[in-house]
Amino acid sequence: MIKLTNVYKVFFPNTSNEVLALNNINLDLNPGDFITIIGSNGAGKSTFLKVLAGIELPDAGKVELAGKDVTAYPEYLRAKDIGRIDQDPLASTASEMTIEENLAMAYKRGQVRGLRWAITSNKEKLFKEVLAEVGLGLENRLRVPVRTLSGGQRQALALVIATLAEPKLLLLDEHTAALDPKTAKQIMDLTGKIVSSKKLTTLMIPHNMEQAIKFGNRLMMMHRGQLILDLGHEEKSMLTVPQLVERFSTASGTAFDDDRVLLAT
Amino acid sequence: MENIITSGLQQGFIYGFMALGVLLTFRILGFPDLTVEGSFPLGAAITAKAIVVGADPLLAVLLGALAGGVAGAATGLMHTRMKVNNILAGILTTSAIYTVMLRTMGRPNIPLLTNENFFDRILRLFNITEGTLSLIQYKTVTITLLFVMVLTARLLLGWFLKTDLGLAVRATGDNEKMIRSLGVNTDNTKLLTLIISNFMVALSGALASQSQGFADVGMGIGVLVASIASVIVGEMLFGSRGLSMLLTGAILGSVIYRALLALGLRLNLPAEDFKAVTAILVLLALFLPNIKTRTQKPLSLPQVTENKEKEVGQE
Repeated sequence: MIKLTNVYKVFFPNTSNEVLALNNINLDLNPGDFITIIGSNGAGKSTFLKVLAGIELPDAGKVELAGKDVTAYPEYLRAKDIGRIDQDPLASTASEMTIEENLAMAYKRGQVRGLRWAITSNKEKLFKEVLAEVGLGLENRLRVPVRTLSGGQRQALALVIATLAEPKLLLLDEHTAALDPKTAKQIMDLTGKIVSSKKLTTLMIPHNMEQAIKFGNRLMMMHRGQLILDLGHEEKSMLTVPQLVERFSTASGTAFDDDRVLLAT
Repeated sequence: MENIITSGLQQGFIYGFMALGVLLTFRILGFPDLTVEGSFPLGAAITAKAIVVGADPLLAVLLGALAGGVAGAATGLMHTRMKVNNILAGILTTSAIYTVMLRTMGRPNIPLLTNENFFDRILRLFNITEGTLSLIQYKTVTITLLFVMVLTARLLLGWFLKTDLGLAVRATGDNEKMIRSLGVNTDNTKLLTLIISNFMVALSGALASQSQGFADVGMGIGVLVASIASVIVGEMLFGSRGLSMLLTGAILGSVIYRALLALGLRLNLPAEDFKAVTAILVLLALFLPNIKTRTQKPLSLPQVTENKEKEVGQE
């Protein structure tokens, strides 16, 4: 469904700062896969997701989405099929616009936008239903500007925005990193619920090792721009955090050096 | 007193179109579009020339407004397709417009007092000739006409900004990355907004030429700051919460600003100082932290969207 073949991405080429962010990535995603990707700082995880989203275009290789070669498509042309959430709660919602306006924009994901009223009573009803499932009471605050929401509420809304039009691929880049532990857990549980109920193919950079093990059916490790380990559901579900760190060290030949990911709860 | 009110209403409604246009780019799109200093006199110049060569004043005003739309498109294309900085793109267009105006008019200004103007033409639609009305009646009729026009523009703009496309325009100013991730080509929303905005600004210029009876290449100097002042006055008095308040506030702010200018003239204040005073007042409004507009986006500054995309090590 989603296929990457020999994908490379270089930053600052031909300078002393040259970084090979993606080094020959090959990947074939099955529909419904929920993959977590771990790796040290600078391993290329975010770049990987950005290349999938079209925010960065690869320097070599091929990206296919649902059988279509989208390698050269900019972000807005891929948006119909890809939902994405950033770690910054301010990034995935429009602050000065209301909750229902944000959702109305998500409703039209990837479609031609014309001169019809963006908000109709039918849509309002739908938005209320979707928000009620989130369980944060947002369904009663449809006409409130998003800037008045807390970080957790904004990420919950971002999750609804990203999944409302049922994209073929959901990309989550440490989307709970900026939240307090309790809210992070809430948002993670909500993520699991939405992904499984809509059977979304998902790639997630988890905020910590526990998330990496607890969520998803496949776990991958990145190191220096390469995918160095790909664990299936069986193998993954038996792992503990220390074992996972151990597997990483063996596979990469280095110690796992991201304290934040190790220690974060 | 009566003069101040009628002048405030008439000029305020005429410049209200421009205030709406400026609100659209500066405030809603977050794009400091300097093209307006050119599209305002361009609207007047094209209209005047068209009338002089014998065009129907209704058509002439429409042509003037359309010329503004073209100017907005020029700035928009420079910025989005050729990646010229937004302020510089506006300056380039404005500079080129100066030549276009001189070439079109053939001289720096065209007097129109002997020609039938837009307002007389509309009256003729209702079988009224100017001579049958007293001065007060004539003023009342033109003010009413302008009120209906600016109200229509206000309602159309309010409707547009609540459509699917309008939401995309507003989101382009609010969170460009977000709306792009939802499949909108933000280059196109910017281009569209610049066209609409400059259409309205040029319409304002066209109507100004009809009301004052001439078009002049220099009539655009300072109109941008005056519009920003109108928008700020509107926000201070009517609040900046909500789109409806912003739109209505811009028009009412324009009326109040023009009334204040008329009052200044009545009090024999030196007219040559008005532009500097306006500029200082705008500066104070932007600077003084307790003024309401300050709690939101600074009006006259481009929005800074952090571009971290190119940084490595963000993983």
